Amino acid sequence: MAVLALAACAPTTAGPGTSASGSGVTQVAITLTGDTGDACTVSPDSVPAGPVTFTVTNRSSTGITELELLDGARILGEKENLAPGLPAVSFTLTLGGGRYSVYCPGAQTPNTPFTVTGAAAPTATGDAAQLLQQGTAEYGQYVATQIAGMVTAVANLETAVDSGDVAAAQEKYALARPFYEKVESDVSGFLLPGAAPTSNRGNLDYLIDMRASSLDPAVGWSGLHAIERDLWQGGAITDQTKKYASDLVSNVTELASLAQGLNYRPEDLANGAAALLEEIQSNKISGEEERYSHLDLLDFAANIEGAQQAFAALQPGLTRIDPALAATVAREFGTVNGMLDIYRDASIPGGFTYYTPAVRAADGAALSKAVQALQEPMSQIAEKVATAQ
Amino acid sequence: MTIESEGREEDPKDPRLLSRRGLFYGAAAGSLLVGAAAGFGGGFAARSAAEPVDVVDLDTSYPFYGTGEQAGIRTPQQRYSVYMTFDIAAGAGATDLQVLFARWSGAIAQMMAGKPIGAVQPDGEYAVANDTGEAYELGPAGLTVTLGLGPDVFGRRFGLAPQKPVHLAPLPALPSDNLDPALTGGDLSLQACAEDPQVAYHAIHDLARMAKGTAAVRWTVLGFGRASAGKGQSTPRNLQGFKDGTRNLKEDADYEQFVRVTDDAAWTRGGAYQVVRKIQMRIENWDADRVSDQQHVIGRTKQAGAPLTGVAEFDAPDFAAQDASGNPVIDPTAHIALAAHENNGGLKILRRGYNYTDGLNHYGQLDAGLLFLSYQNDPAAFVALQTKLGSSDLLNEYISHIGSALFFVPPAPPPGRYLAYQLFE
Repeated sequence: MAVLALAACAPTTAGPGTSASGSGVTQVAITLTGDTGDACTVSPDSVPAGPVTFTVTNRSSTGITELELLDGARILGEKENLAPGLPAVSFTLTLGGGRYSVYCPGAQTPNTPFTVTGAAAPTATGDAAQLLQQGTAEYGQYVATQIAGMVTAVANLETAVDSGDVAAAQEKYALARPFYEKVESDVSGFLLPGAAPTSNRGNLDYLIDMRASSLDPAVGWSGLHAIERDLWQGGAITDQTKKYASDLVSNVTELASLAQGLNYRPEDLANGAAALLEEIQSNKISGEEERYSHLDLLDFAANIEGAQQAFAALQPGLTRIDPALAATVAREFGTVNGMLDIYRDASIPGGFTYYTPAVRAADGAALSKAVQALQEPMSQIAEKVATAQ
Repeated sequence: MTIESEGREEDPKDPRLLSRRGLFYGAAAGSLLVGAAAGFGGGFAARSAAEPVDVVDLDTSYPFYGTGEQAGIRTPQQRYSVYMTFDIAAGAGATDLQVLFARWSGAIAQMMAGKPIGAVQPDGEYAVANDTGEAYELGPAGLTVTLGLGPDVFGRRFGLAPQKPVHLAPLPALPSDNLDPALTGGDLSLQACAEDPQVAYHAIHDLARMAKGTAAVRWTVLGFGRASAGKGQSTPRNLQGFKDGTRNLKEDADYEQFVRVTDDAAWTRGGAYQVVRKIQMRIENWDADRVSDQQHVIGRTKQAGAPLTGVAEFDAPDFAAQDASGNPVIDPTAHIALAAHENNGGLKILRRGYNYTDGLNHYGQLDAGLLFLSYQNDPAAFVALQTKLGSSDLLNEYISHIGSALFFVPPAPPPGRYLAYQLFE
């Protein structure tokens, strides 16, 4: 059995709910009550195959705020924000014959069997799971493109560093930064061949992207931020700077070879996007990432782009499962991007205003709050897409 | 098919129940023992038998739904609070606000009953918990959560201007205001109070999380001890060591006259206005002040809390009394003289404040004070009192009003509805 269509959902007034309407859509009423323990009533609990509209009314249950129509573990349709007193909401699915269940988390009995009589629907094409699979393949292309871009950009950085021109090297540094930040959650787990996982010596994430605040004295400075320190704090290119640059090129090349042919599950994309948002909250908002260059907003924008690309890959499938969640996340990405646009400045390497302590003090809280508003709905996606398979 | 609840029974052997019940605390409980000793000829004076004794029962729960004011106004004041204000997001509309109030209401009802608001440990491997979990199994602990609506809720953006409570507008500038914009204002407020600080914190934590995308946090204060007395409660002390709330509004008739809104649009009736002020104390200076001056500033004795014209806490102050030299015994600019209803045309407000601390300030001083919360049916009452106090209160040397806001607290919803539902129908 499979879902053939999922109509847009909108608040409606609750109908009587048990009879088939003239248009051939069967009406099912789901009522939530809390008077004698939180309960979820489905009426009728058996309908003929075809289009079915579920109308959900929360009369008095404070313990149930969402419900899902499940086919096994797979979410076919759902409604959230079901607090007592809100208008009834409805969703319509075209269901083939089979056994389903209405899942009301928080109810004394969370699962209510729901039967559809008649022929099972043929396996549909373009359903949520398939759309999600398609998305992961597209996302894999995106990651490969970013890694290839990184290889070229760090080579350009090395050339500029070797030339001894600090301003040119700063430009190339800014151009090299975003690639890693866009895909960091996908590539941050690699070790040099044969390296011990407990040491940073062979940890490519450390060697490429360590910061002053993550310095391991046993290994020392390395990678992009070591170059950043020399270019901005020291304002000079030394032989050690050149060594950092050549090591960076070899480490990124190694990373590119290790990251070839990565495969992703939909939940990996969702978890990876969530991890990039965590990166913003823990290192960019605080100005820790680009302590010397103050290019944090460039990294911030790159983290957002990477997260948004992962979300975009999931969006068509997620929209089948939970259109409201997909719309919320899309809206919050829009809000964050709108805020970032305010800081665009083409005259600065990387294209964003310097995130100085003054900017951080004035605007850091607003930026963090906007990302928080994105993190909460984003954190809901992984479970939805994982169970859609 | 209907899924019925199976009646849950309390297990009498559940050790949580035993450990939660019957906690006595505070000086009053100690004084009972002292009084008992006195009965055997001890040298201590026994307290009056009528003195209130505070009993804390962490199984206490208060109903969220009702027909009068929200819980947390007349509820016997709990020992701990977390207070938070919110800004409504720029993109949020009336429907977002409606959904937020409904979700908050359902969640508050759950938490006040001592229940989680969703799975603490969800089944799915990739699922995030709905309830953050830190109050799990702590019991209701007398939790109340009280919602306030700021003036901008009734601005043009939500189409709610016609329903604006008549007195809801930002407080005017008042004498001695030293307000920090970061601690002032807000579109929404939540006052969580409980007998366990973690229960209060959990409520605000989860409600703030739920609001993300619709409302963002603005400022917050953690109150660690009550600094006002309700009816039948012993009078606590503020961080200056003086009893606070001795003459608080406690009688039902006064509540009806001074607190309950009865003369505005139907939807507001049963509500009240909430004034909040973050009042920083210059604690080190106060500590170094001689006790006679402290008593002069307040107008009461420090230990008993008696007015300077009396001997016991609840003696009525005599503002006309003079000493042998013809000077007033209670200075006309003493705190209690300026605040007394006798000197303000009978005006009373219901106070429900908490002691707070933010740790240390940049100068190595204790950063602490009073989170003043008051309820009244017209904020003009607070404005009148604070205009006098801010102008000439002797206490002003030791305090500074650094945060401020005004909210309308709508009445409690009936079962099956949500806070402020009337605005959306």
